[in-house]
Amino acid sequence: MKTRYVKRHVRAFWLFVAPCLLLFSTFFLIPLGLSVGFSFTNYDGWKVMNFIGLANYKELFADTKFYQSLGRTFTYTLFSLPFKVIIPLLIASLVTSKRVAIKGLARTLTYIPSLLSALVVGITINWMFSAEYGLVNFIIQSLGGTPLQWALNPKLATFVISFASNWASTGFYMVIFIGGLNNIPQEIYEAASIDGSTTRQTFLRITVPMLAPTTFLATLLSTVNLLKEYALVQGITQGGPGLNTTFIIQFIFDKGFNQMQYGYASAISLVVMVIFAFIAYVQFKFSNGGDR
Amino acid sequence: MSKPLLRVSRNLGPSTVTLLVSLVILFPIVWLVLSSFKETGELFSYPLAMLPSRFTFVHYRKVIGEGFFGYVFNSLFLAVVGTAITLVISAMCGYALAIYRHEVSYTNLVFGIFLLGTLIPGETLTVPQVTVISELGLYNNIWGVILPVVTTTTGIFMFRQHYLSIPLSFVEAARIDGSNEAQTFLYVMLPLGTSSTVTLAIFSFMWRWNDYILPLLVLSDQKKYTIQIAIKNYIGFNGVDWSSILAASVMSIIPIIVLFIILQRYIVGGLSASGVKG
Repeated sequence: MKTRYVKRHVRAFWLFVAPCLLLFSTFFLIPLGLSVGFSFTNYDGWKVMNFIGLANYKELFADTKFYQSLGRTFTYTLFSLPFKVIIPLLIASLVTSKRVAIKGLARTLTYIPSLLSALVVGITINWMFSAEYGLVNFIIQSLGGTPLQWALNPKLATFVISFASNWASTGFYMVIFIGGLNNIPQEIYEAASIDGSTTRQTFLRITVPMLAPTTFLATLLSTVNLLKEYALVQGITQGGPGLNTTFIIQFIFDKGFNQMQYGYASAISLVVMVIFAFIAYVQFKFSNGGDR
Repeated sequence: MSKPLLRVSRNLGPSTVTLLVSLVILFPIVWLVLSSFKETGELFSYPLAMLPSRFTFVHYRKVIGEGFFGYVFNSLFLAVVGTAITLVISAMCGYALAIYRHEVSYTNLVFGIFLLGTLIPGETLTVPQVTVISELGLYNNIWGVILPVVTTTTGIFMFRQHYLSIPLSFVEAARIDGSNEAQTFLYVMLPLGTSSTVTLAIFSFMWRWNDYILPLLVLSDQKKYTIQIAIKNYIGFNGVDWSSILAASVMSIIPIIVLFIILQRYIVGGLSASGVKG
């Protein structure tokens, strides 16, 4: 009797998870397996598929364009990461402060850019930074400066992309930090204020350390999102000038879908997957998962 | 100075700073919207003015004339159907992972498989994903961009957490009353999951509305394009068709902003409650 009862529940369990499991297997686990398989072939996405052993990996480790693209992605990530975390933290402290009257409105306005698609984010910021007739160059000119070639200079182009990415994610991380700030017990702040702690001391000595787990989460999510930046770039530079803003995901797509080197693209994907996982692991170890 | 007045003046500084910061953050969108109403001549001549000298709908008319509402329909279909499927299957899966945790020994193993989905960025699997989509005959088919993305670990996780918080005695009571497993889920447990449902629904709708990579790669027939792909097509090889892309972008963000303003308490509450410990 007991076993029949349990058996029925096991069957119910599988029926409940079946839709998710089936779709996840079809569109995630099978592609993962295919990726491994393709990486040992010269598959062109169409007809040719011969086993070529480790040739793709050998080519990859000798491919300067791959290293350049990866290096570019790392530089971009490192350059953008501090802003991705610090600006939302400061704004979250503002919109949770007792001394601020219009918290709800400020939160709503700050969150709105996070609703836009990455492509539209790129377009919106690109419009402000366009070299001719853009608002930013207009302001520079009005102040007596020389207009900048935002799209043609590799450093400026990367800056614009980073600016757009930070702008669009501020609201999202602000909300994450609001959650973290609300979880800090109020008594600690009361004790600090009785002991005569200044606003700045309280922020640096209490808020920042108490927020460590939230900061860890925001750092981890930002890192991954920066490393895989793609759609946003399509709204700004499409990877240019030259290949100067072609980050690693676009590099994979160009190899796969434009140059029809599915096998080679799969090999890059797997290496990139391992690198991303390693970075996440290091961050996790380094911060003890955000535990104090 | 009276006491309330004193408080107001003490709070005036921080409040003003906060308001200014949030207005600066909103500004690029305001600039996009205002620009979209300027005539082409005004868009490309200095000096720039904040407001259009004459509001014109000419860019909107052009974009709509090029079949924009067709793309809106496709995006709506993707977002609504995709979200509906996500909600149903995530609720079922999260429910099973929570409720049968004592009776089925490998629930954590199954959950672990789904967690793989958060560890590996989907972008690194796009190349073979497109192969699978083609092999299933879903190339150039809206289902080819819906089915691959409806399973979300976030959704499964949210419902699992939710059902873990509901006492198992609810389920046992229903069973004793003769309810079968499907009935227990449908009539007893599902109605208890509304707040996670709304939060996930908003996010899923937004994700699908903003989906870019798969629609770009899978939909080849212009009639099947979603809004994002239609917008992308205004970025040509020789430059950007700014007057059209501004209007198209503005139209693409209206539904999502309206939805957000109506339902925002679920976003802020849902995000900060969904497992982000402080």
